[in-house]
Amino acid sequence: MRVRFIALVPFVVVAGFPLYWMVVTATRRQDELFGGDVHWLPDVTRLGTAFTAAVDGAPMLRWLTNSAFVAAGTTVLSLALAVLAAYALSRFSFRGRGVLGFALFATQMLPEALIVVPLYALFLTLGLLNNLWGLVLGNTAFAMPVAVWIIKTAMDAIPREIEEAAALDGCSRYAMLRRVVLPLTAPSLAAAAVLAFFDSWNEFLLANTFMVDEEKWPASKGLASFVGEFVTPMPTVMSAALLFTLPAVVFFLLVQRHIVAGLTAGAVKG
Amino acid sequence: MTRADRLAPYIFASAAALYLLVFTAWPLLDGVWLSFTDTGLLNPAAGEWVGTDNYAALFADPRFAGTLGVTLLYSAATVAGALLLGTAGAVLLDRSFRGRTTLRALLTLPWAAPTVAVALIFVWILNHDDGVLNGVTEAAGLGRHGWLTAYALATVTAVSVWKVFPFVLLVVLAALQTVPRELVESAVVDGAGPATVFRRVTWPFLVPTLRVIALLMTIWSFRRFEIIWLLTQGGPVDRTTTLVIDVYRTAFLESDLGRSAATGTIGLLLSAAATVAYALAERRSTAKDLT
Repeated sequence: MRVRFIALVPFVVVAGFPLYWMVVTATRRQDELFGGDVHWLPDVTRLGTAFTAAVDGAPMLRWLTNSAFVAAGTTVLSLALAVLAAYALSRFSFRGRGVLGFALFATQMLPEALIVVPLYALFLTLGLLNNLWGLVLGNTAFAMPVAVWIIKTAMDAIPREIEEAAALDGCSRYAMLRRVVLPLTAPSLAAAAVLAFFDSWNEFLLANTFMVDEEKWPASKGLASFVGEFVTPMPTVMSAALLFTLPAVVFFLLVQRHIVAGLTAGAVKG
Repeated sequence: MTRADRLAPYIFASAAALYLLVFTAWPLLDGVWLSFTDTGLLNPAAGEWVGTDNYAALFADPRFAGTLGVTLLYSAATVAGALLLGTAGAVLLDRSFRGRTTLRALLTLPWAAPTVAVALIFVWILNHDDGVLNGVTEAAGLGRHGWLTAYALATVTAVSVWKVFPFVLLVVLAALQTVPRELVESAVVDGAGPATVFRRVTWPFLVPTLRVIALLMTIWSFRRFEIIWLLTQGGPVDRTTTLVIDVYRTAFLESDLGRSAATGTIGLLLSAAATVAYALAERRSTAKDLT
């Protein structure tokens, strides 16, 4: 076992160092970062100051609120659409079932960059450019298919006998979905929800292309505006990045198991 | 079967299907259509049909050959690196020991961190004058290097591998759980060493999973935008310009939507080709298993 542990140390160092360095940079004074000695440890006493500076130094709170709005909207919309589609795919055979399944899988290989231009034109027509609802609609197109696969995989595992018994008791299809199937798939619903939230929280391409006004930027675009820029002090930039990273990491760690199960099941059966 | 029963699946599926039609299928078809026009960003409705001119221009342009080369090199190296590191990490984590859960969580951090934050921190770490990496290489007597200029493609690839290998690790770790313990134990009883056990017992169980991830990783590499864009914007001088970077630049910086769409369509065809190749390989191996 010791051999494994030692072999894993370099892995962990390489995987963890950049994020560790984000914390170190966030808690150091600007003058400690340039020229001269490298400070290897974070100054944890300055963590509070660092976050305050991040929030004061840029419209970070505004951006994070925008991100939260987009992520929450995408999650609700994706889940509502995905639950219904997953139920249809899991429980019925119908014309077009194969086509729908394939279309959902195919979105996985669609380069966002290819549809970003036509989507731009579409949103221009619909007045959805520079509008946070536009981002919700755009993100849902990518989050919803993954949610369908995760939820469908969970629904497939529910024995049909349970529904048959409910049907004998006079339960309608809709009541069955709501009262019988959904409670049994709750963990996967949670996983799909968190993943949709996580994806749209992190999304950058659509945000960068569609949002013009600075006060409407989500945090991904706001932070990207700091890349390679030296006007905002580096500790402030890194504290802002840290504020943006923490929710994503927490959400991801909550559901990593389900994500893997859902993605691989989707890929294998697609 | 009542009429309501027959209609039920369509009612359930219609919302998602309609959504995909409007926000995915329509833009996709529109994109392919754009590739046969000379539309510009400022006159999105006024493009003229130019047939295959955009494609002809692409294939006649040596820059496009360069873009294709960078895309294939970047994808192959990223997929290979991620598969190698991810599988190695998973094999090391496959036994239960103290601290295993913590190590697994630490190793998945790169996948969990938002790409924009990752790009910010790497641009800072790799900074020529004040970045910590050059601080370390200089202290070690190896000198300073322009990580994002002189070695741009290698650096972008390394950062990409760093970002995506945890996905491979998690999936392979899940696959390793399906290897029957008895099979491993009986091989050990028969005198097989760890290397033999891995090659003869574990490996065959991993192959199908690795094939699927290799496909997913390849497709994702073809479409990856954010890491490359934020680190180098495709530069210096196109050295890290992959197909999607080219698509974005041609559309939003050069305002040539027709050419941009043609490039994107070729990227899509490459992804489709990878999927078809996978499907064929899968069918052949299934046939082999059956006979």
